Amino acid sequence: MHMPRFDVYVPQDLNDALSFLDERGEEAIPLAGGTDLLTLIRAGVVKPKILLDLWPLRKNLSYIRREGGYVRIGALTTVDEVLANYLFRDSRYLGFIDAARGLGPTFLRSIATIGGNVATGHPLSDMAILLLALKAEVKFVSRHGERRVSIDEIYLDKRKIDRRPNELIAEVAFREKPMSSSTAVLKIDRRRGHSMGYVVSASYMALEGDVITDVGIAFDSLGKPYPGRAYRTEEFLIGRRFSEDTIAESSKVLELEMTRLSDYRAPAEYRLSLSKTLLKKCLLLVSQRIKEELMHG
Amino acid sequence: MAEYRDYVVKLTVNGVTYIVSVKPYERLIDVLRYKLGLTSVKEGCGRGECGACVVILNGKVVPSCLTLAIRTNGAEVQTLEGLAPEGKLHAVQKALIEVHGIQCGFCIPGFAIAIKHLVDNNSNPTDEEIKEALDGYLCRCGSYSMLIEAARLTAKYVSEGRRYFDLRECLGE
Amino acid sequence: MTTYEYYRIVEEVFEKYMGRPTVFVGKKITKWDEVAKVTGKALFTADFLKLYKDVVWVHSVRTKYSHALIKNIDVSEAVNVPGVIRVLTARDIPGVNDVGYVIPDQPLLAERKVRYIGDIVALIVSKDPYSASEAAEKVFVDYEPLPVYIDPEEIVDLMTIEEKAHSLIHDERGSDVVAHVKIRVGDFSKALREASVVVENKYRTPMQEHAYIEPEAALAVPEPDGGITVIASTQCPFDARRAIARVLGLTQNKVRVIAPFIGGGFGGKEDVVNEVGAKAALATYYTGRPAIALHTREESFIGHSKRHPMTAWYRHAAKKTGEIVLVEANILLDTGAYASLGPFVAWRATVHSVGPYKVPNARIDTLAVYTNTVYSGAFRGFGNPQVHFAVERQMDILAEELSMDPVELRLKNILRAGDRTIHGQLLSVGHGVGLEDCVRRVIELSNWYEKRRLYSNQNEPVKRGIGIALMWHGNSIGVEGADYSSVSIIINRDGTITFRTGLTEMGQGSLWGLVLIAAEILGVPPSYFRVEIPDTSSAPDSGPTVASRSTVMGGNATVVAAYKLKKRLSELAGSFLNCDPSDVVIEAPKVYCREDPSKEVMWREVVEEALWLGVPLQEYGFYRATRAEWHEETGTGAPYITYTFGAVVSEVAVDTETGQVWVERAYTAYDIGRVINPIGAEFHAVGGYVQGMGYALMEEVVHSKEGCVYNNNLSTYYIPTIRDAPQIAVAFIESGYRQGPLGAKGLGEPSIVAVAPSIANAVSHATGVQFTEIPLTPHRVFIELEKRKRRL
Ligand SMILES: Cc1cc2nc3c(=O)[nH]c(=O)nc-3n(C[C@H](O)[C@H](O)[C@H](O)COP(=O)(O)OP(=O)(O)OC[C@H]3O[C@@H](n4cnc5c(N)ncnc54)[C@H](O)[C@@H]3O)c2cc1C
Ligand code: FES
Ligand code: FES
Repeated sequence: MHMPRFDVYVPQDLNDALSFLDERGEEAIPLAGGTDLLTLIRAGVVKPKILLDLWPLRKNLSYIRREGGYVRIGALTTVDEVLANYLFRDSRYLGFIDAARGLGPTFLRSIATIGGNVATGHPLSDMAILLLALKAEVKFVSRHGERRVSIDEIYLDKRKIDRRPNELIAEVAFREKPMSSSTAVLKIDRRRGHSMGYVVSASYMALEGDVITDVGIAFDSLGKPYPGRAYRTEEFLIGRRFSEDTIAESSKVLELEMTRLSDYRAPAEYRLSLSKTLLKKCLLLVSQRIKEELMHG
Repeated sequence: MAEYRDYVVKLTVNGVTYIVSVKPYERLIDVLRYKLGLTSVKEGCGRGECGACVVILNGKVVPSCLTLAIRTNGAEVQTLEGLAPEGKLHAVQKALIEVHGIQCGFCIPGFAIAIKHLVDNNSNPTDEEIKEALDGYLCRCGSYSMLIEAARLTAKYVSEGRRYFDLRECLGE
Repeated sequence: MTTYEYYRIVEEVFEKYMGRPTVFVGKKITKWDEVAKVTGKALFTADFLKLYKDVVWVHSVRTKYSHALIKNIDVSEAVNVPGVIRVLTARDIPGVNDVGYVIPDQPLLAERKVRYIGDIVALIVSKDPYSASEAAEKVFVDYEPLPVYIDPEEIVDLMTIEEKAHSLIHDERGSDVVAHVKIRVGDFSKALREASVVVENKYRTPMQEHAYIEPEAALAVPEPDGGITVIASTQCPFDARRAIARVLGLTQNKVRVIAPFIGGGFGGKEDVVNEVGAKAALATYYTGRPAIALHTREESFIGHSKRHPMTAWYRHAAKKTGEIVLVEANILLDTGAYASLGPFVAWRATVHSVGPYKVPNARIDTLAVYTNTVYSGAFRGFGNPQVHFAVERQMDILAEELSMDPVELRLKNILRAGDRTIHGQLLSVGHGVGLEDCVRRVIELSNWYEKRRLYSNQNEPVKRGIGIALMWHGNSIGVEGADYSSVSIIINRDGTITFRTGLTEMGQGSLWGLVLIAAEILGVPPSYFRVEIPDTSSAPDSGPTVASRSTVMGGNATVVAAYKLKKRLSELAGSFLNCDPSDVVIEAPKVYCREDPSKEVMWREVVEEALWLGVPLQEYGFYRATRAEWHEETGTGAPYITYTFGAVVSEVAVDTETGQVWVERAYTAYDIGRVINPIGAEFHAVGGYVQGMGYALMEEVVHSKEGCVYNNNLSTYYIPTIRDAPQIAVAFIESGYRQGPLGAKGLGEPSIVAVAPSIANAVSHATGVQFTEIPLTPHRVFIELEKRKRRL
């Protein structure tokens, strides 16, 4: 059934959009794919005065490119576009395929954007969790310039990110990863198809021989109501030899820095156990991907 | 109460171009169902969770319940009504009848569109690719196994170059 | 008891076709609705909106509390919202403010108190949907909150079955126990002494949501004489008509209900249509304009009946040999805020509470109680999936105690022809009791013994298991109500046939089964038939489309009508073909004499001749089931006309690291007497399995302690997706039921009954943990596995 009524500003281009935000940013809400925002509006949780339609900005802000040692993804790139991009067939970035294939029902992926996923600030944001593991940075733009912030610094509270009212997210970018590295995202729930996940886990790991030279571990939540990185676990892993024992020990470290909440879907104790299991499964998958690449390269 | 301005949207649906006036909050599904009378597009949830409202928009499958109508200016839309010329059935329609996969039928428009879209882009999908393409479309009557079979059969027909079938023949008349 | 002619006709037709090849029955023939549905032309209720102008929208303003007294309702601001035409409250109801189904306990619009989060306090009638929902925020209600109960064990003690002291939800009734159904058979203390094994456990099953993809909808249209036509997504057009007429204070002939294609029902589109239809009709009544009431998905979750959650304590006692000597149970069904069909559900649960076994002694007490949760009512299986979960788990646990194979234990105890049910009902050969054949078939299909052995010793983190469950399910409605059905068959002047019934099409294909029956008997191919959409103004009252009764009850009515027409037309054709009527063969487009096929005439000519000679070309077929019998104090008698039997085997994989369970393969065999429409039969076997799998593994409506529903959408309430549905092998046994149409029985509900226990049994087999609660979500499985690890 119908949406509640709202107004929309349709900008000509990015400049127009930013000028609009400069003036009316306090009361306007940017609308990307709308897969998250429109459902909140429908539920009456968000009552917008006016929406800023970002779709016209796709001409400029939907791209995936390698540039200056970075992989750059335009904020309005859709999940489908990620799935279709050859870059993510690179074994280092297979985590994107995991995340995209698991994101919502198939038909949502044609409109759900990467920028929207990062900006929702909801724990269950698969792309954002992967980008956390990749230590990506988020580029905010306004009429007055741009600001690059490490993605782990933008989350403030549930559905609240550190975005100024006159800013838009224009891009997320991460440094190209070394050859002997890979990524993985795992999400576990009651059903195989379209699911939210009791726990969503993403890992990035680089190996030299069997030594872990770089690692990023992220979850839908470490205790706060938004996604985050497991810094202590990362610290523990770095420089160690990759082995079953190391993983087993790292899960003990994870336990120290993670608090889980109970809700109607699952109790905290289960979520915690599952997080440890997924940490292990994710790292094993990453190492397997690295090995396969070395073998078939 | 605030007045909301009208936007004029020109869109082509099933090959016919329409000019409609829409409010900013109206969704594509509202336009298709209530302004153009294309009621094959079903509303099962209005929240992007069921797939019953899915149409092909500029070559992509989208949930029409989460697509604002103002975004469809200049767009090309395809719904179940437009899959085949009058008197004909598209391969996917023929296949759905042949495997007897239609129970209540409320989910069928979404599945038919999804299968058509899949086969347009991949005329020889594996079972895994079929499941991937149909992931998240819900059929509460539980016809999934028949729907997979229908997708296989559609692909077979299309790869044999048999895209349309005579409706009367299908009925054995 | 009077024996009506129709009983004789049904048996005569049964005998004629028993073991004989058929032309249409049992054949896969494209259903009447397939082309309309696949081309997008089939109209569902909300689609009719495009055919009407000036339609008003009806929006339900629902309560903010799930248990409270209403002190005052102020709609003065809401009325002034631009676009709003009227705001209706309980005081505006011209007739009776009640939409209850079994008992009159459910107001359409709350007046004195609210009892659950879906209760409606006012209706906004508006010229567009937007202002309707905006005005809803301007309805102000003063509530006096009362304690909220979401657990039936707060109302009744499970072990003593005594009602506890609490703030009554239905104070006007003086008790929150809606129904108490019993079985008292044999001498149970003696039985306990004889037993060598006793198994007792507490079981829990969840509240399940129908989650049909089409939410509830009704469109009311004014008629010139003050009557109202309501197009509604309903399984029971005649029940809806009765309820709507009562709310509006109109006679039934002034209300016309049309049931177009229905986007899934599964029992959920029974009583809620009383409410939705009445809401639309009320708006039309006051505005004189067409009115539409559409539920959003979220409203559908909180605003229509569910499957009753069950808490049950079961005790089974058996001899060393495996013979069951006693079943005892206390069964608590949470019917939520209103009775809906709860009393009938409690009764059906009780009737089937010992499973399809010979049980000499039993003591069963089933209580349906009110709580402040969303009300529960009819849902495919109707109480039976709940008790089968408990009974079939008990059987496996018993087998383990006795060190017997679960199949062997069951074969020792199952009902066979000549046995008596727990109620003392004799299952004569004429019932067709093919349960043993079902068991043998699934055992063979699944390679049971081999896999059972193979899966018993595994050390991998992913463990496999195989489980079986049996079931029985009484056909039609038994003592729940007047059990009749009817159809009319009208032969048109061009030889085509119009087929009408008040039974509805929800995708199950049973109306097509009726056409196949009529075609078979008449000798006129199904392509000559046109099924008309059920319409209370043209179709005969056929009773509700529930309880797996369409094929059996509608089928018998069809047999009767087709038989009579056939007889009349054979006599007519015989007279001018010069052959004995019994020799006349109708094979439209031809009609000829069996002895001398050269004596031939066209079907159309016979029809034309009938008009000239005054032989009626239309027939009304009516059938009422033989009266059910039930003695309340003992739970004995003959509760149902007959029973469908079946067996289901499931194979699962359990990831012991995450607790996830996947069904990999399933095998089902049902004895449905005779397969009438194989397409529909397969739909049920497969669709019932998938829905049952959801029940076993993922589905559960959860309320907060304030009585709100946490998971009120299809992202958070999980139903199986295409990735979850397993391969399902389907087999049918056709033992033939003498009083069924060509021997047929029902399958709609039976197809879900044994699924969850078969899966749970498989999970227990895989893990060695005895599960007693569904859904078997990953966390439940994982936590039980951890507990077991700690114990070992
Ligand atoms: C049925 C369903 C299933 C889903 N399943 C998943 C899932 O499995 N995994 C998952 O991660 N998510 C899921 N989601 C959530 C959602 O689809 C994703 O988060 C999606 O990526 C959001 O992108 P969007 O473009 O639709 O964002 P929108 O809804 O348009 O926006 C979301 C938020 O981000 C802000 N925003 C968007 N773009 C920008 C920008 N460029 N600059 C500043 N602010 C911006 C908006 O103002 C809004 O607050 C699901 C949603 C639905 C309805
Ligand atoms: S109605 Fe659009 S996805 Fe359900
Ligand atoms: S056929 Fe009924 S939902 Fe798919």
